[in-house]
Amino acid sequence: MIHLQNVSKVYPNGTEALKNVSLDIEKGEFVFIVGPSGAGKSTFLKLLIHEEKATFGKITVNGFNLMKIRNGKVPYLRRTMGIVFQDFRLIDKMTVYDNIAFAMRAIGSSEKTIKRRVKYVIDLVGLTGKEKCRPNELSGGEQQRVSLARALVNKPEMIIADEPTGNIDPKMSFEIMKKLVEINRSGTTVIVVTHEHELVREFGGRIIIIKGGTIEKDDRMPTVYHNFDDDNSGEAKQ
Amino acid sequence: MKLSSMGYLIKEGLRNIWNNRMMSLASIVVLVSCLIITGAAMLLSVNVSNLISNIGDDNQINVYLDYDLPDIEAIKLGSKISKIPNVEDCEFYSKDEGIKEFEEKLGDDIYQSMQGDDNPLGNVYKVRLSDLSEYKETIDQIKSLDGVMSISDRAAIARTLTKLNQFVTLVGSWVVAILAVVTLFIISNTIKMTMYSRRFEISIMKSVGATNAFVRIPFIIEAMTIGLISGLLASCVLISIYDPLRETASGMIALIGTSTIPLEKIWLPVLLTFSGIGIVIGILGGFISITKYLRKEGGEILGW
Repeated sequence: MIHLQNVSKVYPNGTEALKNVSLDIEKGEFVFIVGPSGAGKSTFLKLLIHEEKATFGKITVNGFNLMKIRNGKVPYLRRTMGIVFQDFRLIDKMTVYDNIAFAMRAIGSSEKTIKRRVKYVIDLVGLTGKEKCRPNELSGGEQQRVSLARALVNKPEMIIADEPTGNIDPKMSFEIMKKLVEINRSGTTVIVVTHEHELVREFGGRIIIIKGGTIEKDDRMPTVYHNFDDDNSGEAKQ
Repeated sequence: MKLSSMGYLIKEGLRNIWNNRMMSLASIVVLVSCLIITGAAMLLSVNVSNLISNIGDDNQINVYLDYDLPDIEAIKLGSKISKIPNVEDCEFYSKDEGIKEFEEKLGDDIYQSMQGDDNPLGNVYKVRLSDLSEYKETIDQIKSLDGVMSISDRAAIARTLTKLNQFVTLVGSWVVAILAVVTLFIISNTIKMTMYSRRFEISIMKSVGATNAFVRIPFIIEAMTIGLISGLLASCVLISIYDPLRETASGMIALIGTSTIPLEKIWLPVLLTFSGIGIVIGILGGFISITKYLRKEGGEILGW
């Protein structure tokens, strides 16, 4: 699914953000990427979504060779992933429904499909009844759930969450993580970038620690699902 | 691209115009002004060309007689002119008839004071030539006759008008070129503004895998519509002022009245040309700003 081999990224100003990084992430994994600010986490994500190109090495994501990918193919790479941002990036003037539908319209889905699929993901993230609300009428946690729904709506093979709990309170953070675990259970690969070690300890899974542009540690811990029930494990099927 | 997407994109493009209405209005005003100036230069040039070709085709010349030429000599001169081989017809046109043409314009008092010996005009022979290719030789022959003061040399008028036309074309081309750059700048700025105000949406669209064409289309539709509206408005203004201007010009120079292109022949080409120019300028202006913007990624789009 994701294969990095001796990848380095040097920015034009000379900053070496990643140094000789090699790793593999398999389909269906739940991976935390942790590390202090400036460690290279954001660069790692930008390389995955091809917002930046690696200076050296080899990167393959969902079957796309990112060292050779043509500009015209980048949108198709991105359709295989859903991105959740720390600051939600919702469009204020649009309702919850339209914010989510927007992601489907952007790839040319028909209105009929959009209607069906958006209803499904709104249910999935627990926002039923809030379809007509605008982002400023929602709490931080709810806004992040809209963002999550938007990331999910195009049925991506992989969810990349960049500090998804950075702007919300601990209780809501737990709820968002719970949703991500549910999504992962349905077979979607989930990559969460965070610096909240407590959350990582709480949920477990594979933990990759990046420091100074290199992988300091790559641990596989048992995924912990305590404090929430397993009854709804099937609802995240897409 | 699917048809349903096209409908959505067109709607988005038109919505952009409304959401960004002050900037759209400003662009339309500037574009209309530029197109009117361009159109005026083009219409002037077309009409002057038409005038020149009409003058070239006209085979009638006016032979002005000496002021003090006695009537009997004038009659003799008329028969000499008629005998020149290339002269088809020679008709006497007295100075009294000449001044009568100005009766209305001069007013009764002035007209009355210009009768008889006080008439400032001279007698004229209106001469029609049978072969224009021998124009110069025939003119020389008539000029050599005693009693001929001057000849209305239409070739000279045509030469002057050709020079004027060349000048109008040259200046017009520069005006059109400069205004084209200005209009492109204006329209690309408008699109840049819209793109900036929608940078959030663009970054999201790109992150979920929208193709550049998909991102681009609403902005092209917006630019094209602004161009089309401007083109239509400029055409309407040009068409509505064309006849009054033509009449005013005809009042000043009689020749213009018969040699300009009538409105019926010009309104449709003007409308189509300017709508087309508007659309092309819109598409070009839109492309310039969008292409630059689409090269950006993620945070760059948001200006972070």
